[in-house]
Order: sequence, then structure tokens, then C-alpha cells
Amino acid sequence: MMAQAPQSKEISIRQLAMTFESAEGESVEALHPIDLEIAAGEFVALVGPSGCGKSTILNILAGFLKPTGGQALVGGEPIKKPSIDRGVVFQDYALFPWLNIIDNVSFGLERMGVGKKERNEIAAEYLATVGLQEFERKKPSELSGGMKQRAAIARVFATDPSIILMDEPFGALDALTRRFLQHQLLEIWQKHKKTIIFVTHSVQEAVYLADRVLVMTARPGRIKMDNRIELPYPREFTTKGFRDHEKLIYDVLDEELAKSFDLESKGRFGD
Amino acid sequence: MTLIRLVLPYLYAAVAIVAVWQATVTLTNAHVAILPPPALAAQTFIELVSTGELFVHIRASLSRVIAAWGLSALVAVPLGLAMGRWRRFENIVDPVVELFRPISPLAWIPLAILWFGISEAGKIFIIFVATFFPILLNTVSGVKGVDKVLIRAGQVLGCEDEWSLFRKVILPAAMPTIIVGFRIAFGTGWAAIIAAELVAAQSGLGYLIADGMEILRSDLVMVGMVVIGVLGVLIDSVFRVISKHHDWGT
Ligand SMILES: Nc1ncnc2c1ncn2[C@@H]1O[C@H](COP(=O)(O)OP(=O)(O)OP(=O)(O)O)[C@@H](O)[C@H]1O
Ligand SMILES: [Mg+2]
Repeated sequence: MMAQAPQSKEISIRQLAMTFESAEGESVEALHPIDLEIAAGEFVALVGPSGCGKSTILNILAGFLKPTGGQALVGGEPIKKPSIDRGVVFQDYALFPWLNIIDNVSFGLERMGVGKKERNEIAAEYLATVGLQEFERKKPSELSGGMKQRAAIARVFATDPSIILMDEPFGALDALTRRFLQHQLLEIWQKHKKTIIFVTHSVQEAVYLADRVLVMTARPGRIKMDNRIELPYPREFTTKGFRDHEKLIYDVLDEELAKSFDLESKGRFGD
Repeated sequence: MTLIRLVLPYLYAAVAIVAVWQATVTLTNAHVAILPPPALAAQTFIELVSTGELFVHIRASLSRVIAAWGLSALVAVPLGLAMGRWRRFENIVDPVVELFRPISPLAWIPLAILWFGISEAGKIFIIFVATFFPILLNTVSGVKGVDKVLIRAGQVLGCEDEWSLFRKVILPAAMPTIIVGFRIAFGTGWAAIIAAELVAAQSGLGYLIADGMEILRSDLVMVGMVVIGVLGVLIDSVFRVISKHHDWGT
């Protein structure tokens, strides 16, 4: 049924740095040179204090932003501009409100030149995977937040990208919907084995989902901890192994949070 | 049911207007040439309908407005898309637009006659002026208002060049605002038929009014005004229905 064999690629981040110039001419160092290797098919969660540069990394990988130093390679190729080969799931869904759900999911397939009949079949298949087969003809405005995000997940998997970037995709959802979507995401990832980078503020979510949890420092962001989670799926929040990982990550994170509050208050009140 | 609910407010308004109109005539004892009673205007209306003359005027006015409005859309939409998308282009064009915008269509009458003589083109030009700015400004704000995240979503879903992004994301996202511009522009264009047909016209609702004034037939003036008002409301409601179709909710 699939249009092509599922694929995924590795990511190499080499001395990647980003300094923003604000309108007033001040410069903000968002990323301190970062080195990072992510294997094909790996599920990596990225956590860190607010403003540490998580979205910046994702935006560079997506091709929305040009780094001011170093480079990022996907499958050995440097990133030049946004591409359908690098899918993105946005926090606020970013469904096209003028298209119904199935047309949203088949949007990328149409751009790839897949014929109408085939792309509708593929889209319907992915919508069924996320349990939205009944809502194919509905407009996004008729769906709840959780359903919209499921549609957005179906849309990104439907184009079979090599990597998928997710920036707090479940951040706006209630706890129950969130649990349900985490579960669905894991299922679809285990089936297709995409390389995923998943930004979250929830340590629990990170440990529940990822092969590897990267903890970033306060701004300027660097990778402070690379925690491999070897617990088997499906994971239980209550097991000792799970708790141990959480504790390890929180300890590092707390240190950085303190620093980032320090940084913020300094910025606000002067020194 | 819904039709009745739509029409009813206008019926009330019509009854109120006619009542005030009749009361004014009765109380002031106005001369027919100054303010004809509603009954006389109604009689003139029926005459104009039965001879078919009214439809000639309506068709003349309507086709001018449609032509001018279509022309405006052809120029203003691409210009507005470009202005909304490219900041530097907007910075160049916007001051020019802002300088022309306050100039009423009426002020263009002399130049329209000098440039186009008494031909149809001059009249269309004046209505063009009246319809151009609402379409342009709405297109610009529609494009600027497109959610940045939708543009990014388009880019990572295969709209890798500017043109496909325009066609598949920016234009549809801006469409509701552009349609509002079309609707407002049709209204301002329709209101400008007087200005357009004031000079050297042989037909049209504006002509009917101007001619009525010249030959002291205020009943003709009133019929012209009423028909402009009623058709204006009808056309606007057609646009409302169309824009409902393009309103995808939020
Ligand atoms: N376009 C920009 N211009 C100037 N500074 C920016 C810009 N984008 C981000 N920054 C700054 O870079 C830093 C990192 O921002 P980023 O959005 O990557 O943080 P984040 O880790 O995603 O934060 P959060 O968890 O709150 O989403 C912040 O200090 C932010 O203010
Ligand atoms: Mg962020």
C-alpha cells in the first residue's frame, strides 16, 4: 500500500551555533557550538529551560533558520532550505483551515506528484492509524485540539520524510489526550522507525517516548546530558527504572533552571 | 424561514422610510417638483418598469460596475499580493497608493473626460478608481495576516518555491480577507455610478438621477435613488452568501 519503502536518515550536528541580532543591535547567543550525532530511526527528546534554544535547533534542522556557525547534515547532506524530506509537527497544529482533513493529510502527497486516487488511499490509511477515519471530510475548525494534532501527525507521516521534527506537539493538550497521543505516536513510530526529534517540557513525556533524552543548559544552549533510556516499550511511569531516569534528568535540569532564572532576572533588572 | 428573517428588517426599514417620506410631504405641503409623494414615485417606477426603460438603466450601470470592478481586481489583487509579501516592494509602492487614496472618484471626472472623452471608458475609469483601493488594501492585509506557521507548514510539505507557496498557501489563506475587499469594492463602485454617469451618459441609474434633476422630475430622481439602494443591498447579500462559503471558521 505504501508509495515507497519507509526510509529514515541520520543527523549530524557539527559546531552548530546561532547568535541572533536583535533590532536594537544587541546580540543574543542562543546556541553555543553544539556537536551531536543522531542515528537513523532514533527517537530523541530534547528538554531544557525555556529560552535555551530548543526551538532554534529544530528551526535550523527544518531549514527555517540559517545557523550563524557550523552546520547540520541530514543523511550526509547539508541543510539548505525547508524540504518535504524533513517533516515538522507544530505546537499549534498548523492545519490548513480551508482544506478538509483528508486534503490536509494528502497535501504533501499532491506536491510530490502522487495521483488523486492513490494519495487519498494513503491519506485515509494514515487517518485510520490515528483513529480519524470518521473525520476525513470535516474542516479543522470542527475538530478538537487533540484531533487536530492527530491529523497533523498523520499528515507528516503520510509524506514519508526521513526525519520528523516535533516542537512541543502536545504542549497545548490536556493530560489525558496527551497520554493517548503519546501512545499513538509511539505505535506509529515503531511501525515506521523515523528519526524523530521531539522537544518537550515534560520530563515524564521525554522518558516515556524517547530512546535518548538530551538535556540542554540554560542559554546559550549546549547539550549538558545525553541520557539513553533502555527501558522496553511500552513503558510504565511507576517502575523504578522510569523513576530513576526521571530523577537523573531532573537533577541536571534543576541546576540549569536555577541558572536560567538567574539569567532572566539579571536581564530584567540589570547587574 | 431564513429568507423571511433576512428580508423582514429591510421591509420594516422600507415602511418607515415611506411613512416619514409621506409625512414630510403632507406636513410641509411640498411641491411635487421638490419632493414627490411616494405614490407618484411608485407610479413612475411602474411606468419605467413596464416600458422596460428601468432595466436598460440597471443593465447599463451594472455592466459598468462589473467591468470596472473586474478590472480593479485584475490589477489590485496581484499588486496587493506582491505588496503584502515583499516588504521592500511595499515600501516603494505604499506612499504612492496613500497619496492617491484620499482623492475622491468625483475629482477624477475632469481628467476622465480629457483622457477618455465621453466614451464608456471614462465612466469605467471613475468606477475603477472607486473600487481599486478596497481590493488593494484588503489583499495586502490578507497576505500580511497569513499565519507564519502555515507558511512554514507549506514549505515542509513540498511548496519549496515561492510560486507554489503563493498558490497553495498564501492565496487561499488570504482569500476570506480578499473577498471582503471584493464586497466592499462592489459597494463603493456601485455608489460611484452617480459620479461616473453624471457627465455625458445616455443611460444608467446615475443618468436617470442627473437627468431627473435637469428636467425637474424629482420623481425620477427618487426612483433612481431607491433602485440604487435596493440593488445595493441585494448585491451585498449575494456577496455575503459567497463569503460564507469561504469562511472556514477559526
Ligand atoms: N528571531 C529571533 N530574534 C532574536 N532572538 C531570538 C529569536 N528567536 C529566538 N531568539 C532567542 O534565542 C533564545 C532561544 O530561543 P528558542 O525559541 O530556541 O528557545 P526554546 O528553548 O525553544 O524556548 P521555549 O522552551 O520557551 O520554547 C531565546 O533567548 C530567544 O529569545
Ligand atoms: Mg520553543
